[in-house]
Amino acid sequence: MSENLLEVKNLKKYFSTPHGMLHAVDNVTFNIEKGKTIGIVGESGCGKSTLGKTLMRLHEPTSGEVLYNGVDIASMPLKKFKKEYRSHIQMIFQDPYASLDPRMDVLQLIEEPIKVNDKKLSKKEVEDKAKEMMELVGLAKRLETAYPHELDGGRRQRIGIARALSLNPSFIVCDEPVSALDVSIQAQILNLLMDLQEQRGLTYMFITHDMSVVKHISDDIAVMYLGQMIEKCPADEIFRDTIHPYSQALLSAIPIPDVHAKHERMVLKGELTSPINPKPCCRFAKRCPYATDRCRQEEPKLREMRPNHLVACHYAEKFVK
Amino acid sequence: MGERILDIKDLVIHYETDEEVVEAVNKINLSLEKGEILGLVGETGAGKTTTALGIMRLLPPKVGHVIQGNIFFEGKDLMECSEKDMRSIRGKKISMIFQDPMTALNPVKTVGDQIAEVVELHDNCSKAEALKRAQEMLAMVGIVPERYKEYPHQFSGGMKQRIVIAIALACEPDLLIADEPTTALDVTIQAQILDMMRKLQKEKGTSMILITHDLGVVAEMCDHCAVMYAGEIVEYGTTEQVFDNPKHPYTKALYQSIPSLDKEVERLHVIPGMVCDPSNLPSGCSFCERCTEKRAACAEHDPWIVNVEAGHYAKCFQYTPEWEADKDE
Amino acid sequence: MAKMHTPAMEKIERKNAKRKKPRQITPSYEAWKRFRRNPTALVGLIIVAVLILIAIFAPLIAPYNYQSQDYAAMMQKPSAAHLFGTDQFGRDIFSRCIYGARYSLLIAVFCTLAALFSGGLLGIIAGYFGGKVDTIIMRIMDIFQAIPMIMMAMCIVAVLGNGIPQLVAAIMFASMPTMARNNRAAILRVRGNDYIESSEAIGCSKFQLIMKHMIPNAAGIMVIFFVGFLAVSIMMMSSMSYIGVGLAAPTPEWGLILNDGKSYLTSAPYMMFFPALMIMITCFAFNLMGDGLRDAFDPKMN
Repeated sequence: MSENLLEVKNLKKYFSTPHGMLHAVDNVTFNIEKGKTIGIVGESGCGKSTLGKTLMRLHEPTSGEVLYNGVDIASMPLKKFKKEYRSHIQMIFQDPYASLDPRMDVLQLIEEPIKVNDKKLSKKEVEDKAKEMMELVGLAKRLETAYPHELDGGRRQRIGIARALSLNPSFIVCDEPVSALDVSIQAQILNLLMDLQEQRGLTYMFITHDMSVVKHISDDIAVMYLGQMIEKCPADEIFRDTIHPYSQALLSAIPIPDVHAKHERMVLKGELTSPINPKPCCRFAKRCPYATDRCRQEEPKLREMRPNHLVACHYAEKFVK
Repeated sequence: MGERILDIKDLVIHYETDEEVVEAVNKINLSLEKGEILGLVGETGAGKTTTALGIMRLLPPKVGHVIQGNIFFEGKDLMECSEKDMRSIRGKKISMIFQDPMTALNPVKTVGDQIAEVVELHDNCSKAEALKRAQEMLAMVGIVPERYKEYPHQFSGGMKQRIVIAIALACEPDLLIADEPTTALDVTIQAQILDMMRKLQKEKGTSMILITHDLGVVAEMCDHCAVMYAGEIVEYGTTEQVFDNPKHPYTKALYQSIPSLDKEVERLHVIPGMVCDPSNLPSGCSFCERCTEKRAACAEHDPWIVNVEAGHYAKCFQYTPEWEADKDE
Repeated sequence: MAKMHTPAMEKIERKNAKRKKPRQITPSYEAWKRFRRNPTALVGLIIVAVLILIAIFAPLIAPYNYQSQDYAAMMQKPSAAHLFGTDQFGRDIFSRCIYGARYSLLIAVFCTLAALFSGGLLGIIAGYFGGKVDTIIMRIMDIFQAIPMIMMAMCIVAVLGNGIPQLVAAIMFASMPTMARNNRAAILRVRGNDYIESSEAIGCSKFQLIMKHMIPNAAGIMVIFFVGFLAVSIMMMSSMSYIGVGLAAPTPEWGLILNDGKSYLTSAPYMMFFPALMIMITCFAFNLMGDGLRDAFDPKMN
């Protein structure tokens, strides 16, 4: 086993709302090995983006530890984090249409992180570095003076990747980087991300709601539901041997581009549990077809059902094939 | 063979601004039988939504123009209908569901009123009857009818989309055009909506055009499938034909570029290049630049639509007799 | 696809052939293109340009000195010699109105700039930092705003005395709450965008975020406020001069000219008509331009 680049321990992020505390990320624990990709899947509102932004310290964690190479980066003063660790952990944003300042051209956009983080560089050096980054992510030289609104989604996302990579990070949070893109462009960006990982030994946390994408790119997959991690396992296992009923429902809901694929669909009924001041219970209980009184009263813990396969369900044994 | 409900002939739609003319839809032919679900697949800018808006005659005024072509709906040419006739067709005979359920509902009216409004407008019934009908519709889309007094913000995204569908179906239209009805929704909610739409189609025999970029949705829902690229239909056939035996290079490439759930692929197939600029289309085949099977002729001449097998069409020279002859030379 | 040829396409092709080089499409250029297509906005712009020219070349245009009194020609009706007539001292009202453009426009620009800087700064601080800072600043502004603008301005002049700097200060203080509010809203709108978070993620400091991303992106909206506020300033200044708390006679300011004529409203209505017309045209032009700018910078806002 290789060493862990990132160890997240009992990370919590609560937001205060007029109705009470919103448990966006609740007691999440996982590790990421160096050079590997962890996929975080879940539906909107499950806290996957918040988790990413909390690791980046774009949100301040409520409690918990994030060990980066053994150093707790969650509790250190924000100033120190920004100075010493900001460039190690970078992020690629979901919407390439909104995450680029419309008033900057491509070169300026890519120069910005370089300039901000190393003030000693001369203008020429900054420009050279930016041009090098453009080449790395496959942006043609003639696009230097183009503005984001003139480019298509794929190229804009390449700018986003160049911005993140220009700081030589070792860990990148990819927050739905391909969900706003067309299929053919999506493939280009996924390939680029995988190539870059190989060349530079990057570690990714890949947040998405698209199961087929996450399976393609990840080594490990974690499924989140209402702020909690309910299942974590190696990528190929989740499709063969899903254990948690929610993961099963999620998988069965995906339309498969094959006319002959006949699969049993598990259609979920019932209302979502509110993430505001949740009671100690299984948060999926209200929609779970197998829920019992125990599920409604006691919160299940993550248990290792197989090597590296963790599930948070009281009746996990029942679902193991 | 069933009865044809919709027949589009040589439809050309342009968007004209001061700066440029965007050739959004280029001479498409399409027909739809009663009770059939047709999937319209393609990437952003392929002209799917424009086609739908063209059928509804809801193209943005001053900018969008139908340059030529006819759209026959139940034998009547929609292009020749007056605006007044169109208003009585829209909602009553043809309904459209838009992509974003959040903006399609009026936030200050109860959902019951919004459904009843459509019924009142088209069915000449009393307010009480319309409200009763609204409650039936809510029940049909799986929302407790008692909630008809609530406002849109009290519903979740998936429920809002169901309400939008309830509005679209309130007058039992003969044709429903659904423009990416589930794209903004989570997969589990998407599964619910698709299930419901399929049930409705079976019960009421509504014909549907389902616009989507998700091939999975098409495989599950549609009888026929039309693939659009740069404003043209490049392949058309039954869903089985198009999925099991794709003929057009674009369709083939599209399949290879989606990551698969059950197969292990090291690297995804990438369609090289980009979609051509619709304001500056090439004179030959519009997919030619990105095509891996092209020949010299492709860049010069625009291919015509070839009947590959019964009911399966592809817009590609490969399937013409000349192609084989060319190879021999 | 065989290319279709429609009249519109041919027209555009001809136009494109004439154009030499494709211009760099910056966001500002796009906005200008939208502005240019808006006829009412162009009318506003032309009127404003003419007014500015009049202000600059006032000595060349005005046929008489604005303060020379001609007792042989008092209270004359508009004629070829005196286009707008003369007042009770025999001063040419046309010349006074022409010079008035200098005072009115210049002071209005100063007032608006002052208000934009003071109110804008407070608004930006409130909008960016949020929380307690926001609450404190905005509640103070609320208190300010509870006093009618013109009353506020009058009180300030009452304390500081008459004169141009005092007038500017008065209008500035009176309009600060509105400006702060508008700028705060503008910053909040920009702040919600993903690119702010993206720049934060690459390590931009707060100051860099404000200066490099927020202000440039909010600039469009700020320009709209600026132009819109010019009209308000002119109105306020004229009203204050009219009721006697603005500039002191014999400055040829439109409000003051109006004030001069008020005792003769029944016998010589032209004395009030022309300066009032000038105020109206100016405000109208600024408002047209402001609306045009709003459409140009913010096509989604309608």
